[in-house]
Amino acid sequence: MSSKIARYYPLIPVYAAYLILFLIGRNVTGMWQLMAMLVFYCAIGQAFNIFLGMTGYVDFGYVAFMGIGTYGMALSISHLYQIEGLGMWVILIGAVLAILMSGALSVAVGAVALRLRGAYFAIATIGVNEGFRFLIEGAKIWGGSEGIIFSGQFTHIFGRKTASLISTTWADIFVILVACLGAFVTLRFMLGKIGYALMALREDEDAAKVMGINVTKYKIIAFITSASLVGLVAAFAWGLKLTYLFPDEIFDISYTVECIIIVLLGGAGTLLGPVAGALIYGLSKYWLTIILPGFQLLIFAPIIIVIVVAFPEGVVGVLKRRVRGTVLEKFIV
Amino acid sequence: MAPLLRLENVTKRFGGLVAVDRVSLEIDPGEFIGIVGPNGSGKTTLFNVINGVYFPEEGTIVFDGRDITRLQPYKRAPLGIGRTFQIPRPFASATVRENIAVGAMFGTLSGRVGVDESLEIADQTIERVGLQEHKDKAAGSLTPVEKKLMEIARALAMKPKLLLMDEAMAGMHPNDIDQMVAFIKEIAQEEKIAVVSMVEHIMRAVVGMAERVIVLHQGAKIVDAPTKEALENPKVVEIYLGHPPEGQGC
Repeated sequence: MSSKIARYYPLIPVYAAYLILFLIGRNVTGMWQLMAMLVFYCAIGQAFNIFLGMTGYVDFGYVAFMGIGTYGMALSISHLYQIEGLGMWVILIGAVLAILMSGALSVAVGAVALRLRGAYFAIATIGVNEGFRFLIEGAKIWGGSEGIIFSGQFTHIFGRKTASLISTTWADIFVILVACLGAFVTLRFMLGKIGYALMALREDEDAAKVMGINVTKYKIIAFITSASLVGLVAAFAWGLKLTYLFPDEIFDISYTVECIIIVLLGGAGTLLGPVAGALIYGLSKYWLTIILPGFQLLIFAPIIIVIVVAFPEGVVGVLKRRVRGTVLEKFIV
Repeated sequence: MAPLLRLENVTKRFGGLVAVDRVSLEIDPGEFIGIVGPNGSGKTTLFNVINGVYFPEEGTIVFDGRDITRLQPYKRAPLGIGRTFQIPRPFASATVRENIAVGAMFGTLSGRVGVDESLEIADQTIERVGLQEHKDKAAGSLTPVEKKLMEIARALAMKPKLLLMDEAMAGMHPNDIDQMVAFIKEIAQEEKIAVVSMVEHIMRAVVGMAERVIVLHQGAKIVDAPTKEALENPKVVEIYLGHPPEGQGC
């Protein structure tokens, strides 16, 4: 029994980090926005890790799932605001819609692109993201290139005061909760058969196949899970927080790149990795922007190169090896 | 007794190259077969056709009474086809124990072997092959011989009826080969596993293990006979040593 519980110990440092971020944000004046940004990075890192980290496939079109998740929230609020008495349910419907839409897109993309490997998969997925954006803009779906501005409808549902509270506080708390969910799902995967299957296909897909692993099935499970989680993150962090969306902003490939950096920096395929990666990335980006505005990217690039060279398995990957055989072993995976 | 594996006129082409050329063979349960042939004779392709990495253009493959010619590899493994690779392909970052557990988890027919049970099977198999002291090491950090042993353990954890071993003894010291041969034979006899061992030039492994030898040359089966007879066959000698020049004695 105790060993069953001990399997979940690795969640402790992850949840502790989220709790600390939350408490600092609540109690230190002016820190909420920074903490919200860090948690957002943690959440997208956690979600992307389930796919990139566990399967080893690099999806350069990952931001498409964030984009379509944001649409889920936007469509729910902008279409359902007139129905009386729906209240908070609008947000729940938006969240479910975000999961379903990003999940559906991932099935469509995965069915085609997951037949490809390595660089070919990466290239195909960039195409998907750009193509999807141009489809929305060109075919004038969901407001086309003008996007959806739903702050008016949002205020109509909740009233000015509550609406502002949801946007400035609750949206970020929802992101923390999704990040917690992401960590839990990751650990469940790691402990279960699916974790072994993903490890095997990441290390050697052909060997995995002849050992009886239906690699396509497991890749698609990881892809859908990862996509719907990040769709949910974006529904809260972009949809609910900003109450507007523009396609060229939410399909911006730089978010995909940030996700990749976070996962690799922290340690691909580890549980604590995305948190460590998000904190290192988020904090350095924040400080560099303050200290040397305009130069942050110039300085940031070499820093990332140094870290990646020094810790090829990511910060947590190295840490994991260091703590092997000590009491900390149970907590860091 | 029905054969465990039956190949009928199996042909596999890569463009214009006929890698496996109308090969027919039968393997009985528990038999020890050596497949011999020089480099490029189609041995590895034959293995890949048997376990589904490639589908043949012609011919049929029947395993355990079931036509598996067009069956996906991941569906074949659980029927009881285990495989080791010429160059070991461990899941490098995972531990030896986890590697072997993967075999038990996905390579058995019921498909209901859970993680804990698989790890138990892995522990038993590790003890069986004598990798206890390495079980928590990353598989990528093992020596080549240990990796081969680990691959055999991984295949054994699948509880196979047929074990395909691709150059399992290549690069090993002769003493190790004898040990390995004895060891594989013992386990296979106990578990009633048919072993097909593919060898390029380590005849020591073939002679020690195989009851029957199949010789491939340019994709075609040219000899299929009991070991001693096969290796003394003039065609086999010619493939390996070449044709003696006319009029010159050796």
